[in-house]
Amino acid sequence: MNNRLKVLRAERNWSQADLAEQLGVSRQTVNALETGRYDPSLPLAFRIATVFGQPIESIFSE
Amino acid sequence: MIARSDAPPPLALKILGIVALASFGAATGAAVATLGINRAMAWSDEVALVMAVGLLAMAIASAVVMATRPASAPKSSGLLQIATLLLASAMFLLPIYGQQFATADVVFGAVIVLLVVQTAANVMLWKRADEMLRRIMAETGAMAFIACQTALFIYAAAERLSLVGPVSSWGLIGITMGIYLCASCIAAARRGIH
Repeated sequence: MNNRLKVLRAERNWSQADLAEQLGVSRQTVNALETGRYDPSLPLAFRIATVFGQPIESIFSE
Repeated sequence: MIARSDAPPPLALKILGIVALASFGAATGAAVATLGINRAMAWSDEVALVMAVGLLAMAIASAVVMATRPASAPKSSGLLQIATLLLASAMFLLPIYGQQFATADVVFGAVIVLLVVQTAANVMLWKRADEMLRRIMAETGAMAFIACQTALFIYAAAERLSLVGPVSSWGLIGITMGIYLCASCIAAARRGIH
């Protein structure tokens, strides 16, 4: 699964630690999400969508 | 919001880690010489000793990373993780060297106490972990189980056929820990955690 996490984060000038804090996960998890090493659970995907204010399908794609 | 740096650790930090681990290696060597560990040991004790030293090294590496981390970084469960590694190391060392300082009953009691504390710490680690870290723990358990079960079956079949000698449970637990540590490294590396 692909995602636009890194781009969205960079647009907001957030570090991985900043995003991790908002999502309630570790920085390693944000890094793994951005590099495609980990696909989030549905609850986490919803939290990501909420944090960026965008629908899930605009952030994640197959 | 002010962005914090995601840059890799500086060279000084890496050098500090190398120095810490080198010092640990020297201290281990000195301890081995002092305690007369260089006498002939059973292979099962040697495996347990390697596991204990490996766990200690991991605890020291974790402590160095935690101590040199920027103050702004989340503290997560670093201390708890270090505690579990140290306790596991002590549990491997006590059955080998404990009887130099206390009776077998006392040593066994101490091992059980450490096991209870370490189990509680592991449960706390699980509860504090986020979903990816829990996934890594679950994958580690699954990989270790399959590897241990396969290895045990092969050895048991060979033993039943009198092709190999029996293995002590102390030897088996050392091997099991080795497999578990390898599995945890693989599971973590797959998620980009080194």
